[in-house]
Amino acid sequence: MRNSWAVLSLTFIANLISQAAGVSPPGKPRLTSCRSPEKETFTCWWEPGDDGGLPTTYALYYRLEHSETVNECPDYRTAGENSCFFNKNDTSLWVNYNITVVATNALGKNISDPVEVDVVYIVQPKSPENVTAVVVHEDQGPFVKVLWEKPRTADTRSGWITLLYQLRVKQEKDKEWVEYDAGRQKYYNVFSLHPGKYMVQVRCKPDHGFWSEWTKTTYIKMPDYLPKERSLWIMITIFSVFIVLILIWMLNMKRNSVKLCLLPPVPGPKIKGFDKQLLKSGKSEEIFNSLVIQGFPPTTDYDDLLVEYLEVYDNEQQELVLDGKDLSEDCIKSKSPSDCDSGRGSCDSRTLLLEKCIEGREGSGSDQHQYSQHGETSWASTESSESQGPEPSSPESVDGRVKTWPIVCSSPEPQPYHHYQAGSAKPAYHSVPEILSHLSPHATASNYHQLHHQDIPPQEVLFSKPACSHSQSYNQFNLDGSDTPAHGVPPSRSLGYVEVQRVNPENMLLLRPLSDPNSELEGSDCTGEDYSKVKEVTSNNILFLQRETSHQCVDNYSPDLDSQADQCTSQQPPHPCKPAVHQSYSPMPEEGMRVMGNGYVDSTVLMPSY
Amino acid sequence: MMAEGSRLYFAVTVLMCAFVSINGVGLNDLLERASQLSDKLHSLSTSLTNDLDSHFPPVGRVMMPRPSMCHTSSLQIPNDKDQALKVPEDELLSLARSLLLAWSDPLALLSSEASSLAHPERNTIDSKTKELQDNINSLGAGLEHVVHKMGSSSDNLSSLPFYSNSLGQDKTSRLVNFHFLLSCFRRDSHKIDSFLKVLRCRAAKKRPEMC
Repeated sequence: MRNSWAVLSLTFIANLISQAAGVSPPGKPRLTSCRSPEKETFTCWWEPGDDGGLPTTYALYYRLEHSETVNECPDYRTAGENSCFFNKNDTSLWVNYNITVVATNALGKNISDPVEVDVVYIVQPKSPENVTAVVVHEDQGPFVKVLWEKPRTADTRSGWITLLYQLRVKQEKDKEWVEYDAGRQKYYNVFSLHPGKYMVQVRCKPDHGFWSEWTKTTYIKMPDYLPKERSLWIMITIFSVFIVLILIWMLNMKRNSVKLCLLPPVPGPKIKGFDKQLLKSGKSEEIFNSLVIQGFPPTTDYDDLLVEYLEVYDNEQQELVLDGKDLSEDCIKSKSPSDCDSGRGSCDSRTLLLEKCIEGREGSGSDQHQYSQHGETSWASTESSESQGPEPSSPESVDGRVKTWPIVCSSPEPQPYHHYQAGSAKPAYHSVPEILSHLSPHATASNYHQLHHQDIPPQEVLFSKPACSHSQSYNQFNLDGSDTPAHGVPPSRSLGYVEVQRVNPENMLLLRPLSDPNSELEGSDCTGEDYSKVKEVTSNNILFLQRETSHQCVDNYSPDLDSQADQCTSQQPPHPCKPAVHQSYSPMPEEGMRVMGNGYVDSTVLMPSY
Repeated sequence: MMAEGSRLYFAVTVLMCAFVSINGVGLNDLLERASQLSDKLHSLSTSLTNDLDSHFPPVGRVMMPRPSMCHTSSLQIPNDKDQALKVPEDELLSLARSLLLAWSDPLALLSSEASSLAHPERNTIDSKTKELQDNINSLGAGLEHVVHKMGSSSDNLSSLPFYSNSLGQDKTSRLVNFHFLLSCFRRDSHKIDSFLKVLRCRAAKKRPEMC
């Protein structure tokens, strides 16, 4: 007992001394890994523990599963430091190895934990070898073909080990590798690479085992190339075909205009406004009528038109009324300044109309008087219903045209002459064609102007003097309906002038009888020889002129007539303005003529109706 | 009559040619197919083993029987490459078939016990075990064809009986035995796979680049 106590105390002291000296038994080693590169040999590595300050030796021992024999590692050097290499003879497959490592130093030893190893489970081949990459140029474009060889030691030929390969590609500037599985083949084609420098690496793996290390980088330069332009040409072709089709379609749409452009048609003779159908129909009146130019002479303003009295006759005794002094200045002024420009020949042409300003008009309260001088030409044309256009203006009338204008007698008031009704201010010349066109539908009278009477005080309707020779044309006064019944033409009415109040836009002359208080004779239907009094106005816009037989009126009207005559003399009417007693009128009874009261004939029916 | 005879002769010729052509090509493809199946088999067993190891009690490792206790350990197989390459094809084939045959019963047991394992991943284990069983059956059938192709007799199959019909009494021992059986099967499936791949490369004279 004393000996054991002494041994123990000595050991304890020795330990203390050794600890104080810094030496100790070795630490426990640790087996890190065992690997077999070709399923024929394998290597185990261990990690040494603390050596304890003393030189330590390591020994690896192994034991196969079905035997109890413990063997030591046959080769410590081949695989390097702290390793044990098992060669072919020492390697058995499908057998568990129980491996331990023992560290030994002067003070003791230490044994690692045992590890069970089956070689077939620890296969990790070496890296593939001879990795080459080449650029292959083909029609579709160049690509990279990577070739390699199996690791030298791996026996894949006999099928003992089966290797699966993998490669990865990266451009130097890229972050990530792109991996491709190559299977069991030893080459791989990489497509769709951008021009530039690429890095290629390959590795392999057994069918059941660990991946090998990556090979060293192989560099390959992808050349610059333009992609095959075939697709570009196809696109261009399709696009151009498409455009051609569109153009053809557009041309097809505009086929007619193209034909017109390339082969312009030869214009055939054509009269503007002439309807060929009329020729075919054969009615001469219609033909003639169609030759009438509508709207000629051109009127610029409806209101320019004004006809106070409208009478045309071809009496030889026409006088030119040159002196316009009788004319009221107002009458003159009331003419539209545009008359001269209208080209209707109104200004300068000789007028057929005898203007007669009744003196009484000055006293009348009529406001709207419009004087119009009706060009002779237009009237003349009405007769013939053919000739159109203004007659050349007489040079004389240039200067004093105002004066030469026959004044359409209108209301006695001078003041109102200036007043124009709104909208119908200026006296306007009503072109005959226009008038005719209006007349034609009515077919009652061709040469008669329809004058709408408006606001005519129901006193008088003044007629143009038909005195000299009863013209073939009469004014047809269409008294406004409202006024018509009231004061159509009072039979008592003697001579009276109708003043054209205005012309409404429909080219209707709005007539107004000149209020002539002086000449007003109630109940008197004396109209004088030269004047016809409108008896009534029918609904057909026919003025029935009253034939006066009594001569009482003559005396009554004489003063008026004188004034009228005087005024008339200032005119240049085609027919002389003669006093009412003028008996030159000779009735010309004709068929269809109505013989009115005082021997005047309503010649409205004389002219062919249009 | 002449026409009928010539027609018959022609048909027979065509059939024979087809037969020969099919047979000639068939072995390579059959072995390729068998190799793929065996590869799958081993991969499945490996993943099953990993699943089991994820939640294995440490005490179980202590209790684990030694691998030499596998019921197929008595079969003499080549242990290294030199030995294996010396074995003729039909012997290799019969070895593979013997091993395969030896595992049909144990796998049935395993698949029946998998659902009641005391393991958190038993569902996955169960499905994989069933898949394993299917694979073995199809591989067995394929190898039958290969045998016919190769003309070797099917008599020299080794019998490797499996006597246990239960894994254990308690759940731990059942789990441990399950694990043990599975490890045995993993190794044997690797053997089968290796042998078949050797056979594959031996027969693939037309496509040497794959081997």
